[in-house]
Amino acid sequence: MLQRSFVKEGLARRALQCTARRNLTIPFLSTLPQKAGGVVGTPNDAYHPPAVDKMHGSYHWDFERALAVAMVPLVTIPLAAGGSISTVADSLLASVLLGHVYIGFQSCIIDYIPARVYGKNHNYAMYLLTLGSVFSALGIYKLETEENGIIGVLSRLWTADRESQESKKD
Amino acid sequence: MLLQLGLNGCYRGVVRPSVIARASRTLGKRFNSQAVKTTFEKEHEILVAQRGNRPVSPHLTIYQPQLTWYLSSLHRITGVILGSGFFAVTIAFGISTLFGLGLNTENLKNYYKEKVPAWADWTAKGTAAYFFAFHFGNGIRHLIWDTGKELTIKGVNRTGIVVLALTAIGGTALLFK
Repeated sequence: MLQRSFVKEGLARRALQCTARRNLTIPFLSTLPQKAGGVVGTPNDAYHPPAVDKMHGSYHWDFERALAVAMVPLVTIPLAAGGSISTVADSLLASVLLGHVYIGFQSCIIDYIPARVYGKNHNYAMYLLTLGSVFSALGIYKLETEENGIIGVLSRLWTADRESQESKKD
Repeated sequence: MLLQLGLNGCYRGVVRPSVIARASRTLGKRFNSQAVKTTFEKEHEILVAQRGNRPVSPHLTIYQPQLTWYLSSLHRITGVILGSGFFAVTIAFGISTLFGLGLNTENLKNYYKEKVPAWADWTAKGTAAYFFAFHFGNGIRHLIWDTGKELTIKGVNRTGIVVLALTAIGGTALLFK
Protein backbone atom coordinates (compact mmCIF):
# COMPACT_ATOMS: atom_id res chain seq x y z
CA MET A 1 0.00 0.00 0.00
CA LEU A 2 2.76 2.38 1.03
CA GLN A 3 4.73 1.44 -2.05
CA ARG A 4 1.78 2.03 -4.30
CA SER A 5 1.11 5.45 -2.86
CA PHE A 6 4.78 6.30 -3.44
CA VAL A 7 4.48 5.23 -7.02
CA LYS A 8 1.35 7.30 -7.47
CA GLU A 9 2.96 10.35 -5.92
CA GLY A 10 6.03 9.89 -8.09
CA LEU A 11 3.92 9.67 -11.21
CA ALA A 12 2.00 12.76 -10.21
CA ARG A 13 5.19 14.71 -9.69
CA ARG A 14 6.54 13.49 -13.01
CA ALA A 15 3.40 14.71 -14.68
CA LEU A 16 3.89 18.16 -13.19
CA GLN A 17 7.47 18.30 -14.44
CA CYS A 18 6.46 17.65 -18.03
CA THR A 19 7.85 20.47 -20.13
CA ALA A 20 5.36 22.15 -22.38
CA ARG A 21 5.83 20.99 -25.93
CA ARG A 22 7.67 23.76 -27.69
CA ASN A 23 8.03 23.83 -31.41
CA LEU A 24 11.44 25.27 -32.05
CA THR A 25 10.92 25.42 -35.77
CA ILE A 26 11.72 28.05 -38.35
CA PRO A 27 8.53 30.17 -38.55
CA PHE A 28 8.29 30.74 -42.30
CA LEU A 29 8.97 27.14 -43.36
CA SER A 30 6.10 24.64 -43.52
CA THR A 31 6.55 21.49 -41.46
CA LEU A 32 5.24 17.95 -41.77
CA PRO A 33 2.71 16.64 -39.22
CA GLN A 34 4.68 14.72 -36.58
CA LYS A 35 3.74 11.39 -34.97
CA ALA A 36 2.92 11.35 -31.25
CA GLY A 37 6.15 11.46 -29.24
CA GLY A 38 8.09 11.48 -32.49
CA VAL A 39 7.77 7.69 -32.75
CA VAL A 40 6.62 5.95 -35.91
CA GLY A 41 5.17 2.42 -36.08
CA THR A 42 4.60 -0.39 -33.61
CA PRO A 43 7.01 -1.99 -31.13
CA ASN A 44 7.25 -5.03 -33.37
CA ASP A 45 8.45 -3.28 -36.54
CA ALA A 46 11.69 -4.58 -37.98
CA TYR A 47 14.57 -2.10 -38.21
CA HIS A 48 15.41 -1.15 -41.76
CA PRO A 49 18.89 0.35 -41.78
CA PRO A 50 19.61 2.91 -44.50
CA ALA A 51 21.53 1.61 -47.50
CA VAL A 52 25.29 1.55 -47.02
CA ASP A 53 26.78 4.46 -48.94
CA LYS A 54 30.43 5.38 -48.56
CA MET A 55 29.79 8.78 -50.14
CA HIS A 56 27.66 9.59 -47.08
CA GLY A 57 30.01 7.85 -44.68
CA SER A 58 33.75 7.41 -44.54
CA TYR A 59 34.54 9.11 -47.88
CA HIS A 60 32.50 12.14 -46.86
CA TRP A 61 34.35 12.29 -43.54
CA ASP A 62 37.73 11.95 -45.27
CA PHE A 63 36.84 14.66 -47.78
CA GLU A 64 35.69 16.98 -45.01
CA ARG A 65 38.97 16.42 -43.12
CA ALA A 66 41.07 16.82 -46.27
CA LEU A 67 39.51 20.25 -46.89
CA ALA A 68 39.97 21.24 -43.23
CA VAL A 69 43.63 20.13 -43.19
CA ALA A 70 44.27 21.96 -46.48
CA MET A 71 42.77 25.13 -44.99
CA VAL A 72 45.52 25.35 -42.34
CA PRO A 73 48.50 26.17 -44.64
CA LEU A 74 46.31 28.01 -47.16
CA VAL A 75 45.16 30.41 -44.45
CA THR A 76 48.57 30.64 -42.78
CA ILE A 77 50.29 31.77 -46.02
CA PRO A 78 48.36 35.08 -46.44
CA LEU A 79 48.58 35.71 -42.67
CA ALA A 80 52.37 35.27 -42.77
CA ALA A 81 52.74 37.22 -46.02
CA GLY A 82 50.71 40.13 -44.67
CA GLY A 83 48.01 40.06 -47.34
CA SER A 84 49.88 39.94 -50.65
CA ILE A 85 49.97 36.42 -52.08
CA SER A 86 50.20 34.88 -55.54
CA THR A 87 47.09 34.31 -57.63
CA VAL A 88 47.67 30.54 -57.40
CA ALA A 89 47.72 30.60 -53.59
CA ASP A 90 44.66 32.85 -53.54
CA SER A 91 42.75 30.64 -56.01
CA LEU A 92 43.57 27.54 -53.97
CA LEU A 93 42.50 29.27 -50.78
CA ALA A 94 39.22 30.50 -52.33
CA SER A 95 38.35 27.12 -53.87
CA VAL A 96 39.13 25.04 -50.80
CA LEU A 97 37.34 27.58 -48.63
CA LEU A 98 34.26 27.33 -50.86
CA GLY A 99 34.25 23.54 -50.42
CA HIS A 100 34.81 23.90 -46.67
CA VAL A 101 31.96 26.39 -46.27
CA TYR A 102 29.68 24.34 -48.56
CA ILE A 103 30.17 21.20 -46.46
CA GLY A 104 29.75 23.16 -43.24
CA PHE A 105 26.49 24.76 -44.39
CA GLN A 106 25.28 21.36 -45.59
CA SER A 107 25.80 19.97 -42.07
CA CYS A 108 23.81 22.89 -40.66
CA ILE A 109 20.93 22.25 -43.08
CA ILE A 110 20.94 18.55 -42.16
CA ASP A 111 20.79 19.49 -38.45
CA TYR A 112 18.43 22.47 -38.44
CA ILE A 113 16.22 21.91 -41.52
CA PRO A 114 15.90 18.10 -41.34
CA ALA A 115 13.80 16.29 -43.96
CA ARG A 116 11.99 14.48 -41.11
CA VAL A 117 10.43 17.77 -39.95
CA TYR A 118 10.53 20.05 -43.01
CA GLY A 119 10.00 17.55 -45.83
CA LYS A 120 10.72 19.13 -49.20
CA ASN A 121 11.98 22.37 -47.64
CA HIS A 122 15.09 20.43 -46.67
CA ASN A 123 15.76 19.74 -50.34
CA TYR A 124 14.99 23.33 -51.32
CA ALA A 125 17.51 24.56 -48.75
CA MET A 126 20.11 22.22 -50.23
CA TYR A 127 19.34 23.44 -53.78
CA LEU A 128 19.59 27.05 -52.63
CA LEU A 129 22.98 26.36 -51.04
CA THR A 130 24.20 24.71 -54.23
CA LEU A 131 22.90 27.58 -56.37
CA GLY A 132 24.59 30.10 -54.09
CA SER A 133 27.82 28.10 -54.28
CA VAL A 134 27.70 28.19 -58.10
CA PHE A 135 27.38 32.00 -57.99
CA SER A 136 30.16 32.04 -55.41
CA ALA A 137 32.42 29.96 -57.69
CA LEU A 138 31.70 32.40 -60.53
CA GLY A 139 32.56 35.30 -58.23
CA ILE A 140 35.82 33.60 -57.24
CA TYR A 141 36.68 33.12 -60.93
CA LYS A 142 36.06 36.83 -61.53
CA LEU A 143 38.11 37.80 -58.48
CA GLU A 144 41.05 35.61 -59.45
CA THR A 145 41.13 36.52 -63.15
CA GLU A 146 40.36 40.26 -63.08
CA GLU A 147 40.86 41.40 -59.50
CA ASN A 148 43.32 40.79 -56.68
CA GLY A 149 41.55 37.73 -55.32
CA ILE A 150 39.57 37.36 -52.10
CA ILE A 151 42.57 38.31 -49.99
CA GLY A 152 42.77 41.45 -52.14
CA VAL A 153 39.15 42.32 -51.32
CA LEU A 154 39.65 41.49 -47.65
CA SER A 155 42.79 43.58 -47.24
CA ARG A 156 41.25 46.55 -49.10
CA LEU A 157 38.16 46.47 -46.89
CA TRP A 158 40.25 45.85 -43.77
CA THR A 159 42.35 48.95 -44.32
CA ALA A 160 39.59 51.08 -45.90
CA ASP A 161 39.52 53.44 -42.92
CA ARG A 162 43.26 54.11 -43.35
CA GLU A 163 42.97 54.71 -47.11
CA SER A 164 42.89 58.49 -46.97
CA GLN A 165 46.54 58.78 -45.87
CA GLU A 166 47.68 56.09 -48.28
CA SER A 167 45.99 57.64 -51.29
CA LYS A 168 47.95 60.84 -50.72
CA LYS A 169 51.18 58.88 -50.89
CA ASP A 170 50.15 57.27 -54.20
CA MET B 1 -3.79 -1.00 -19.24
CA LEU B 2 -0.62 -2.86 -18.42
CA LEU B 3 -2.46 -6.12 -18.76
CA GLN B 4 -3.93 -5.04 -22.07
CA LEU B 5 -0.64 -3.94 -23.51
CA GLY B 6 1.94 -6.50 -22.83
CA LEU B 7 1.00 -9.41 -20.69
CA ASN B 8 -1.39 -11.21 -23.03
CA GLY B 9 -0.26 -14.76 -22.68
CA CYS B 10 3.38 -13.96 -23.04
CA TYR B 11 4.47 -16.30 -20.25
CA ARG B 12 2.60 -19.29 -21.55
CA GLY B 13 4.80 -22.26 -22.20
CA VAL B 14 7.59 -20.93 -20.02
CA VAL B 15 5.94 -21.33 -16.64
CA ARG B 16 3.73 -24.16 -15.49
CA PRO B 17 -0.01 -23.57 -16.10
CA SER B 18 -0.83 -23.95 -12.42
CA VAL B 19 1.52 -21.06 -11.61
CA ILE B 20 -0.12 -18.93 -14.30
CA ALA B 21 -3.54 -19.72 -12.93
CA ARG B 22 -2.52 -18.84 -9.37
CA ALA B 23 -0.74 -15.67 -10.46
CA SER B 24 -3.60 -14.46 -12.63
CA ARG B 25 -6.06 -15.16 -9.80
CA THR B 26 -4.00 -13.04 -7.43
CA LEU B 27 -3.36 -10.32 -10.02
CA GLY B 28 -7.02 -10.29 -10.96
CA LYS B 29 -8.02 -9.80 -7.36
CA ARG B 30 -5.48 -7.13 -6.79
CA PHE B 31 -5.73 -4.96 -9.92
CA ASN B 32 -8.60 -5.86 -12.13
CA SER B 33 -11.35 -8.30 -11.56
CA GLN B 34 -12.51 -8.16 -15.18
CA ALA B 35 -10.11 -9.35 -17.88
CA VAL B 36 -10.60 -7.25 -21.05
CA LYS B 37 -10.40 -8.77 -24.47
CA THR B 38 -8.56 -6.51 -26.85
CA THR B 39 -7.17 -6.40 -30.35
CA PHE B 40 -3.80 -5.33 -31.71
CA GLU B 41 -5.35 -2.18 -33.23
CA LYS B 42 -6.84 -1.14 -29.90
CA GLU B 43 -3.55 -1.74 -28.11
CA HIS B 44 -1.79 0.33 -30.73
CA GLU B 45 -4.25 3.17 -30.26
CA ILE B 46 -3.50 3.19 -26.53
CA LEU B 47 0.23 3.09 -27.25
CA VAL B 48 0.02 6.05 -29.65
CA ALA B 49 -2.05 8.03 -27.12
CA GLN B 50 0.53 7.21 -24.44
CA ARG B 51 3.37 8.34 -26.69
CA GLY B 52 1.68 11.73 -26.95
CA ASN B 53 1.80 12.03 -23.15
CA ARG B 54 5.49 11.35 -22.82
CA PRO B 55 7.65 14.20 -21.54
CA VAL B 56 9.65 16.11 -24.10
CA SER B 57 13.40 15.76 -23.80
CA PRO B 58 14.90 18.88 -22.23
CA HIS B 59 16.57 21.54 -24.34
CA LEU B 60 20.10 22.92 -24.08
CA THR B 61 19.30 25.26 -21.18
CA ILE B 62 19.10 22.29 -18.78
CA TYR B 63 22.80 21.49 -19.16
CA GLN B 64 25.48 23.06 -17.02
CA PRO B 65 27.56 25.51 -19.04
CA GLN B 66 30.89 23.80 -19.67
CA LEU B 67 33.88 24.55 -21.87
CA THR B 68 33.28 21.37 -23.87
CA TRP B 69 29.93 22.10 -25.41
CA TYR B 70 30.17 25.88 -25.27
CA LEU B 71 33.27 25.88 -27.50
CA SER B 72 31.64 23.29 -29.76
CA SER B 73 28.61 25.56 -30.29
CA LEU B 74 30.87 28.57 -30.72
CA HIS B 75 32.84 26.70 -33.39
CA ARG B 76 29.75 26.23 -35.52
CA ILE B 77 28.38 29.74 -34.90
CA THR B 78 31.69 31.40 -35.81
CA GLY B 79 32.02 29.13 -38.85
CA VAL B 80 28.55 30.03 -40.10
CA ILE B 81 29.09 33.77 -39.61
CA LEU B 82 32.52 33.75 -41.31
CA GLY B 83 31.13 31.53 -44.08
CA SER B 84 28.20 33.92 -44.59
CA GLY B 85 30.65 36.78 -45.01
CA PHE B 86 32.61 34.77 -47.57
CA PHE B 87 29.41 33.86 -49.42
CA ALA B 88 28.14 37.45 -49.32
CA VAL B 89 31.26 38.82 -51.01
CA THR B 90 31.84 36.03 -53.55
CA ILE B 91 28.13 35.69 -54.49
CA ALA B 92 27.94 39.47 -54.95
CA PHE B 93 30.87 39.26 -57.39
CA GLY B 94 29.29 36.22 -59.10
CA ILE B 95 25.93 37.91 -59.63
CA SER B 96 27.63 41.12 -60.73
CA THR B 97 29.59 39.15 -63.33
CA LEU B 98 26.47 37.33 -64.54
CA PHE B 99 24.34 40.46 -64.93
CA GLY B 100 27.11 42.92 -65.75
CA LEU B 101 26.61 45.15 -62.69
CA GLY B 102 30.22 46.29 -62.71
CA LEU B 103 31.21 45.45 -59.13
CA ASN B 104 34.94 45.45 -58.47
CA THR B 105 37.27 45.60 -55.49
CA GLU B 106 37.80 49.33 -55.88
CA ASN B 107 34.16 50.46 -55.89
CA LEU B 108 33.30 47.92 -53.18
CA LYS B 109 36.02 49.49 -51.05
CA ASN B 110 34.76 53.00 -51.84
CA TYR B 111 31.20 52.02 -50.97
CA TYR B 112 32.39 50.48 -47.71
CA LYS B 113 34.46 53.53 -46.85
CA GLU B 114 31.67 56.01 -47.57
CA LYS B 115 28.57 54.20 -46.33
CA VAL B 116 29.72 52.11 -43.39
CA PRO B 117 30.07 54.16 -40.19
CA ALA B 118 33.09 53.69 -37.95
CA TRP B 119 31.23 51.75 -35.25
CA ALA B 120 29.90 49.25 -37.82
CA ASP B 121 33.35 48.96 -39.37
CA TRP B 122 34.91 48.19 -35.97
CA THR B 123 32.10 45.74 -35.12
CA ALA B 124 32.53 43.91 -38.41
CA LYS B 125 36.32 43.83 -38.11
CA GLY B 126 36.24 42.80 -34.44
CA THR B 127 33.76 40.03 -35.20
CA ALA B 128 35.78 38.83 -38.18
CA ALA B 129 39.12 39.00 -36.32
CA TYR B 130 38.10 37.21 -33.11
CA PHE B 131 35.76 34.76 -34.82
CA PHE B 132 38.42 33.86 -37.36
CA ALA B 133 41.10 33.47 -34.69
CA PHE B 134 38.78 31.21 -32.70
CA HIS B 135 37.58 29.12 -35.64
CA PHE B 136 41.14 28.70 -36.91
CA GLY B 137 42.50 27.66 -33.50
CA ASN B 138 39.57 25.47 -32.61
CA GLY B 139 39.67 23.91 -36.08
CA ILE B 140 43.23 22.80 -35.40
CA ARG B 141 42.03 21.50 -32.02
CA HIS B 142 39.43 19.43 -33.85
CA LEU B 143 42.08 18.08 -36.22
CA ILE B 144 44.23 17.09 -33.21
CA TRP B 145 41.23 15.21 -31.83
CA ASP B 146 40.79 13.50 -35.20
CA THR B 147 44.23 11.96 -34.77
CA GLY B 148 43.03 10.50 -31.46
CA LYS B 149 45.03 12.82 -29.19
CA GLU B 150 43.82 15.02 -26.29
CA LEU B 151 40.54 13.14 -26.09
CA THR B 152 40.31 13.10 -22.28
CA ILE B 153 38.30 15.59 -20.22
CA LYS B 154 41.62 17.03 -19.07
CA GLY B 155 42.89 17.27 -22.66
CA VAL B 156 39.65 18.84 -23.89
CA ASN B 157 39.73 21.50 -21.18
CA ARG B 158 43.44 22.16 -21.56
CA THR B 159 43.29 22.60 -25.33
CA GLY B 160 40.10 24.65 -24.94
CA ILE B 161 41.82 27.14 -22.66
CA VAL B 162 44.81 27.32 -25.01
CA VAL B 163 42.46 28.08 -27.92
CA LEU B 164 40.70 30.81 -25.95
CA ALA B 165 44.01 32.41 -24.99
CA LEU B 166 45.25 32.29 -28.59
CA THR B 167 41.92 33.75 -29.75
CA ALA B 168 42.36 36.72 -27.42
CA ILE B 169 45.93 37.35 -28.61
CA GLY B 170 45.48 36.46 -32.28
CA GLY B 171 42.14 38.25 -32.63
CA THR B 172 43.56 41.44 -31.13
CA ALA B 173 46.62 41.24 -33.38
CA LEU B 174 44.40 40.80 -36.46
CA LEU B 175 42.06 43.60 -35.49
CA PHE B 176 44.87 46.18 -35.40
CA LYS B 177 46.74 44.78 -38.38
